[in-house]
Amino acid sequence: MSITILKPGFMCSIQDLGRRGFQQYGIPISGAMDMQAAKTANRICGNEDEDALLECTLHGTEILIQDTTVFSITGGGSTAILNGQKIPFNKQIKAIAGSIIKLLPSPIGFYAYLAFAGGLKTSLDLGSSSTYNLAALGGKNGKPLEQNDRIELKNSKPNIQHANIVINEHGFGISNWKSTVPQLPHVNDLVEIKCHKGPEWDLFEERSTSAWFNSIFIISQHANRMGFQLEGAQLEKKEKKEMISTAVTKGIVQVTNHGTPIVLMADAQTIGGYPRIGRIFNDDINLLAQCRPGTKIKFVSI
Amino acid sequence: MECTRIYSIHDQAITFEFAEIISEEINLHIISLKNAIEDHPFNGFIECVPAYSSLTVYFHNNMDKNEVIKIVNSYNSKLNTNNSTSNNKIITIPVCYEMGEDLSIVTSQLNLSEEEVIRLHSEQSYRVFMIGFTPGFPYMGTLPKVLEMERKKTPSLNIQSGSVAIAGKQTGIYPTNSPGGWHVIGRTPVNMFDKKRTPACFLQAGDIVQFKPITKRAFEQYL
Repeated sequence: MSITILKPGFMCSIQDLGRRGFQQYGIPISGAMDMQAAKTANRICGNEDEDALLECTLHGTEILIQDTTVFSITGGGSTAILNGQKIPFNKQIKAIAGSIIKLLPSPIGFYAYLAFAGGLKTSLDLGSSSTYNLAALGGKNGKPLEQNDRIELKNSKPNIQHANIVINEHGFGISNWKSTVPQLPHVNDLVEIKCHKGPEWDLFEERSTSAWFNSIFIISQHANRMGFQLEGAQLEKKEKKEMISTAVTKGIVQVTNHGTPIVLMADAQTIGGYPRIGRIFNDDINLLAQCRPGTKIKFVSI
Repeated sequence: MECTRIYSIHDQAITFEFAEIISEEINLHIISLKNAIEDHPFNGFIECVPAYSSLTVYFHNNMDKNEVIKIVNSYNSKLNTNNSTSNNKIITIPVCYEMGEDLSIVTSQLNLSEEEVIRLHSEQSYRVFMIGFTPGFPYMGTLPKVLEMERKKTPSLNIQSGSVAIAGKQTGIYPTNSPGGWHVIGRTPVNMFDKKRTPACFLQAGDIVQFKPITKRAFEQYL
């Protein structure tokens, strides 16, 4: 049982729920950008939450299914086409050997998750298959997926293998039921994200703290698995004071010396030295992860 | 030693700050507290991240934040700073200084000879305050005052793995090829990070390091 990457698209990498216990060695947690969507994809396929799956950034990915299998696609950032037909997200889909999945552009969301029944058969680095390119950890040889990469699948549970899905003339079938999921942001939306005051909130000028909760920020083109840089009001400190580096993690909003805020995401560095104006409400990090560059954000105080 | 500030960086992560200065005494206390927690982990504990003057504790969402603060505070109050165990074993790291690509900039800016820079950098030992920046990168100190130098105005795009560098009061080793703003004064053949090794990181916070100058020939033989 296996799949082959025909085209990786913008970026396609193997992820799971991340790597825990190694942050004291400078190794980030990593894992899926939208943890909820990743868990949903696995659950639809009868997998464990921890099973490895594919994370696809926006569109362009093409995958060949080598052997008949059940899979699911969740999250957003693309429209999914299977053997030339549009398929729904958040459903169980059974496709025959030789089927091809293509991800085409869509204005909604940023990251899609493709789970295959049984999960991807991957080797673990420090307890996780999550790809962390900088230290060549996880994934396929520590890198995002490339053309012609072949990934083996583990055996799925018998109830999934024999799922009662009728195959249509296009070589696939879709479950009747659908997983309920939160609505994902459209690129033209103004998205409200709840945010706590950060540890260095008091170091910032009142004009800047007021701008943080009252003005609109835009996700810049510099948005990747490490962090989302934001465009908008320049955030100034009351006085020039160097901070002593301390631990940071996913959801922390650092402000660079140029006054630019950066929200740290899944591959967040473990230690940082910039003042932190905010901390994203944990339950909203998945929503923020689905806001692609260009999306307008309003931070709401909690 | 009392915490000066306790704050959340995540719903499941609390930072215990002990000072806003870099001090070996405070870092020693932080490592002792980390060891105490790791030796007797509480229910729901995930991991600790020591930094210069703070310890961050990560825990599962079944734990209440105030409960974790109470537990860590009780560990802290039981620590007697005098009893803080310093790992006195000195780890020797060979360095080929002639391979330091910025050595000439350093000597001219500090108005020292190459021999003096090498002697000053290698004659004392350093404390590993924390690991961060990239996997396995040790932040070590405290550098002799005469070797203090500002970071490069423009960071170098590709610093070779094994590069031994200095910045301010600190010295460090780049574990992988990466960009960086510190001045490189030498290179070590020791692999700082190897995922197939246990532990993957050559150094950890609290270790004491002594650099030993070696020739380029010895460097090549080491590999």
